Amino acid sequence: MCGIAGLLITDPDQRPQLGALLAPIFEAMTPRGPDSAGLALYGDGVEVHKQVGPATKLTADMALADRGGTCGIAHTRMATESAVTTEGCHPFMAGDDVGLVHNGSFSNYATVRRDLAATGVSFDSDNDSEVCCRLLAEQLAAGAGLAEALGSVPDRMDGFYTLLVATPSEMAILRDPAGCKPAVVAEGSGWVAVASEYHALSELPGIDEAHVFEPAPLEVHTWRA
Amino acid sequence: MPRTPRPSATFPAAVIEQIHELSDVGHYEIRGWGAKRAVPSFDDLTFLTSSLTRYPLEGYREAIDTTTVLGAGRAERPLVLDVPITIAGMSFGSLSAAAKEALGRAASAVGTSTTTGDGGMTPEERQASAKLVYQCLPSRYGFTPADLRVADAVEVVVGQGAKPGGGGMLLGQKVGERVAAMRTLPEGVDQRSASRHPDWTGPDDLRIKIDELREATDGQVPIFVKMGATRVPYDVKLAVAAGADVVVVDGMQGGTGATQDVFIEHTGIPTLPAVRQAAEALRDLDVHHDVQLIVSGGIRSGADVAKALALGADAVSIGVAALVALGCNRSTTTGDDRSPPEDVTDDYLALGATPGTCHHCHTGRCPVGITTQDPELEARLDVERASRRVENYLRSLTMELTTLARACGKSDVHNLEPEDLVALTVEAAAMAGVPLAGTSWVPGAGAGLP
Repeated sequence: MCGIAGLLITDPDQRPQLGALLAPIFEAMTPRGPDSAGLALYGDGVEVHKQVGPATKLTADMALADRGGTCGIAHTRMATESAVTTEGCHPFMAGDDVGLVHNGSFSNYATVRRDLAATGVSFDSDNDSEVCCRLLAEQLAAGAGLAEALGSVPDRMDGFYTLLVATPSEMAILRDPAGCKPAVVAEGSGWVAVASEYHALSELPGIDEAHVFEPAPLEVHTWRA
Repeated sequence: MPRTPRPSATFPAAVIEQIHELSDVGHYEIRGWGAKRAVPSFDDLTFLTSSLTRYPLEGYREAIDTTTVLGAGRAERPLVLDVPITIAGMSFGSLSAAAKEALGRAASAVGTSTTTGDGGMTPEERQASAKLVYQCLPSRYGFTPADLRVADAVEVVVGQGAKPGGGGMLLGQKVGERVAAMRTLPEGVDQRSASRHPDWTGPDDLRIKIDELREATDGQVPIFVKMGATRVPYDVKLAVAAGADVVVVDGMQGGTGATQDVFIEHTGIPTLPAVRQAAEALRDLDVHHDVQLIVSGGIRSGADVAKALALGADAVSIGVAALVALGCNRSTTTGDDRSPPEDVTDDYLALGATPGTCHHCHTGRCPVGITTQDPELEARLDVERASRRVENYLRSLTMELTTLARACGKSDVHNLEPEDLVALTVEAAAMAGVPLAGTSWVPGAGAGLP
């Protein structure tokens, strides 16, 4: 049980406002995940911040509203089957700079984890989302593009999920075959925003003119910074 | 005051009766079916289905896949089944031609396979079975290159769960004219099949045999290796090393048409630990699900199928349960379009059994026409009605399986995993390698036990 939030800035002039625009979306997801919060912030490289406690504490501690950048993906966590620890916080990082946040739960992650471990992959947590992230990393390392790698997740991972993924140049989303877990996308002027619930996006400047939609099940959507 | 009679725990009435019988006849008891004693089983496990941490699939709206592919690694034509439940090898001879045909029709109707047995392939079962696995047994009775080339898979039988280390047995009363001709044996004489194959003994020679079978079938069909569950981790690894595309492991509850009671009750390990050990062996070799695992021995319900899949099987085989679905141990015959079902309870009593306790397959006097070569008894089984029962049963098993898998949040039954299960007894927890319910304790975990 979790909340996800994401913002990609396509208009270079708006990049200094990334943090100020993302922070309220992120904080609005707190009731979906009060246990811990985390964020991957892309700009000059990627920074990952994660800690136990509500999103408001994290955004204050890192002064998110003052930060610029190209993209941020964030997560508020209500832990299900693994511990409330910093290691269990999202985002999980695939390779050096691919970030993943997940809302939902995978029903066969123990098997996929065993398969990956047998090939030498190691894990930092007992979290199901980390398994998906490591799987994605393997496919990216094998040469797949982000859309291709994300699109192949349903071949291996069973269960329910909204996955929001970012790289230094792209943001992408995928929902499970049943469209069980929520996601709302708003494509505005100079930005693309994602949240688990619409109200988190409702204060964005220009939201009334934005193209707002729920991604269809199994459709991979990608956006370039 | 007369004292209450005091039975002995060591010599209860059944044991005394057995000793009396042995002392009367001077040889071991022979019978059909599998182990009758209670052993730890899939009944001792329960599923942790969805609640708040995980979500179930909707039963009537969201699809669940049951497609099962066997032998995809090497064969040109892998065996593609619509359900992960196959019909195990049972011979024409042990079973009537009508029973074999009914099993074939039912398996074909649900898109799964059936299997020949000791004694060869009958034209009826080849015609009735859309997917037919051809067994290669130590006796090689009725084993011909022509039949080999029309098989959809070949199964080298090293052993079976009811009698690992023993050969087949068909008593003289079932060796009728047609059975005798197919096996090139004299009519009416007890047939004892070999315990070892004539042309190979260990895995080194088995490799050559598998190469030979692959060549004879032009690499078209998968080669299975079936074994009774004894030293499972080693046997599974050796079968893979010898080139098996599919490994079939038959636990001690597995049935037979006839063998020594001492064999049935006192050899092999239960199916529950066998499936776990086999899956671990395949994982150790990094071929789990690349070489497929079929598990058999006491599979009765969709819950059994689901638990076997969760513990690592790709499919299960049913033998006794399929016979029961045909009508084994019913008090009445199937009846047919001309005559209603007939009560045959007296025929069970004449065998020293009752409907519900009969294991007298070996006598050939099957009251419901399944395990017999007697034309009058065989006529009691209407192929059409019997096959419909088995078809219904296979569909029911599949519905039970998908019900549980959906409740565990799986869109494919093969995504069931050991972590979906907990055990209700310490013994089952240790054997299955899953925690005792309500604890995180897996007895024996990390002890390096095989």
